[in-house]
Amino acid sequence: MKRLAIVGMPNTGKSTFFNRLTGSSSRVGNWPGVTVDLLSAHIVLGGTAVEVVDLPGIYDLHGFSEDEQVVRNFLENNPVDLIGVILNATQLDHQLPLALQFCKLGVQPHILINMIDEADQLGIRIDADALSADLGCPVHLLSARHGTGFNEVRESLAGRVNQAQHRPLDEMRDCLHADDEIVQHSDALIGRCVTAPSVLVRKMTERIDHVLLHPVLGLPLFFAMMFLVFQAVYTLGGPLQDVVAYLLGNFKGWALEPLAATLPAALYGFLIEGLYDGIGTVASFVPVIILFFFLMAIVEDSGYLARAAFLTDSLMARMGLDGRGFVMILMGFGCNVPALMGTRVMRSRALRWLSMLVIPFSLCSARLQVFVFITTALFTAQQAPLVLFFMYLASFASAFLTATLFGRRFKSDEPFVLELPPYRTPVLKQVLLRGWHEISHFLRRASTFIITGVVLVWILTHYPEGSTPGGAGTWASLMGDWMKPVLDPIGISAAMSVILLFGFVAKEIVIGAMVAMTGLEGAALNGYLTTQMDTTQAISFMLFILLYTPCLSTLATQFTESRSWKFTGISLAWSLSLAWVVSFIFYQGARALGY
Amino acid sequence: MNNINLSCLGIGERAFITGIHAPDGTRQRLQSMGLRTGREAEVIRSPRLGPMQIRVGSVHLIMRRRDAARVAISSGQ
Repeated sequence: MKRLAIVGMPNTGKSTFFNRLTGSSSRVGNWPGVTVDLLSAHIVLGGTAVEVVDLPGIYDLHGFSEDEQVVRNFLENNPVDLIGVILNATQLDHQLPLALQFCKLGVQPHILINMIDEADQLGIRIDADALSADLGCPVHLLSARHGTGFNEVRESLAGRVNQAQHRPLDEMRDCLHADDEIVQHSDALIGRCVTAPSVLVRKMTERIDHVLLHPVLGLPLFFAMMFLVFQAVYTLGGPLQDVVAYLLGNFKGWALEPLAATLPAALYGFLIEGLYDGIGTVASFVPVIILFFFLMAIVEDSGYLARAAFLTDSLMARMGLDGRGFVMILMGFGCNVPALMGTRVMRSRALRWLSMLVIPFSLCSARLQVFVFITTALFTAQQAPLVLFFMYLASFASAFLTATLFGRRFKSDEPFVLELPPYRTPVLKQVLLRGWHEISHFLRRASTFIITGVVLVWILTHYPEGSTPGGAGTWASLMGDWMKPVLDPIGISAAMSVILLFGFVAKEIVIGAMVAMTGLEGAALNGYLTTQMDTTQAISFMLFILLYTPCLSTLATQFTESRSWKFTGISLAWSLSLAWVVSFIFYQGARALGY
Repeated sequence: MNNINLSCLGIGERAFITGIHAPDGTRQRLQSMGLRTGREAEVIRSPRLGPMQIRVGSVHLIMRRRDAARVAISSGQ
């Protein structure tokens, strides 16, 4: 097995290239020497099995950010046969030094100059042969987005990876040449091999930014756009959800029930009312999650996220965070776990920890699924969207409160410098692929949790033998009784407090757990919910679910990213207490006012 | 004239970078993002609230005024 590592700066289309080269076969894996997961894929290049690894985007092999250390550690600890360096053709003056750092290490990388279509439009001409002659390694021009020149790149990679030899890289930082020397060489090369207009004008991007980064209109436009994204998720996702529920229900009626009818009653109850109904109810929410990830992929692909950071930075600065933190909070609305991992771009530990403390309050898609379910069951069609909107406000408010309170403890003077890429039209295939990566990752993680959770809940709510299923005497109801003194004052019933226990593991389980516990689904389950809580209790319950803790995966990620039990513990203790206090104030306040 | 820095420039103004006054790690970061001595920088946006948008060569950056103040410039044209 040969190994090909892909490196490059952020915003060079590195992931796009990786996706085009590997298709949808990539997976996340662990590597010696690095503490983070990297994307890799096994492909066949020219008859040889090759493992392609997508390394984090870096600006500089010399640098000190975590990603830069990850790249160095990876290359020092994992033998690599060939390194592909992706450069952005429209920014060679800025990017060529990174490729030169590799050349001067003696690794003879494959230099892939990407985005050649954009460079053409800007009037930039690049003499790849002259570059190649000077550097002594292959140089190719391509567009990973549109596929121009891609086949040639594939062939030449195939040719070289076959002959390449493992080359261990040791103590890379010490072997690097002085930056000044590299920049001089790079400037000289560009003078000889690249012709470009003296000033590059990004006409289209400037015109759009004139509106979207407008000092007054910018922020309102940003919030309007986010609102549209979420609106689209519900309007399109709702009907899709009904279709999935309908199909799953019919499959059960036509095929499963007749087949399972011969089974003993206990096994039938476990398989059909526990496992199938539980998983089925959760599965009907998958379309909403898929839509969310696709839309986020479009926003990300278009280059707008950097604008969001620009627009929100002054707001975030007041809380000790920066614009990148806001973008991560936004990403957290999909799933907290990748958002936590996204804070790696921050070099200062204080800033990073503060961001990681705040992100778990982002209302992620798993919690959204619970809220959509509860609001549909307990509120009118007019009220439901307002209640959901209120939950988003509560999510933002808790994030801001946390940042403001802890901001003084985590002070940093990290520079806030971010690249502002030009706008790009998202390419459908890339968006689908990116969305697919996110979703398959989510489903793989969620499905284990959901099945384990649903099975556990079913056992706890149906045993010991002789107890009323889902009622008095079961292990679950005993647990509910223990928690009563704490959860009674915030209006959460004993049955629902058991659900909270499972929600601690993952919010994806919550609805499945309700199904498994009660043996009800659809309208009957909605009816059951109304016996457990009125609208005031429902909001208190949802506030608690929103804040008390996202899920075990988030906690685990907080720990692996911070490598500190103390930090993880503080974060958990803070969110648990905040959840209880907020629910208490809301519930008792509303009751006092007569609601 | 030693105290002129990038944050002093108005929209559309340009100047050459003469150095970065910051601790090693920060300096390395700013340099690797394109803010190198001898390069010409231009201010594209400078809202009253919020970061500045700077162009260095082909790269557009957003940075806080506080960080732009670390980049020394020569009084250009």
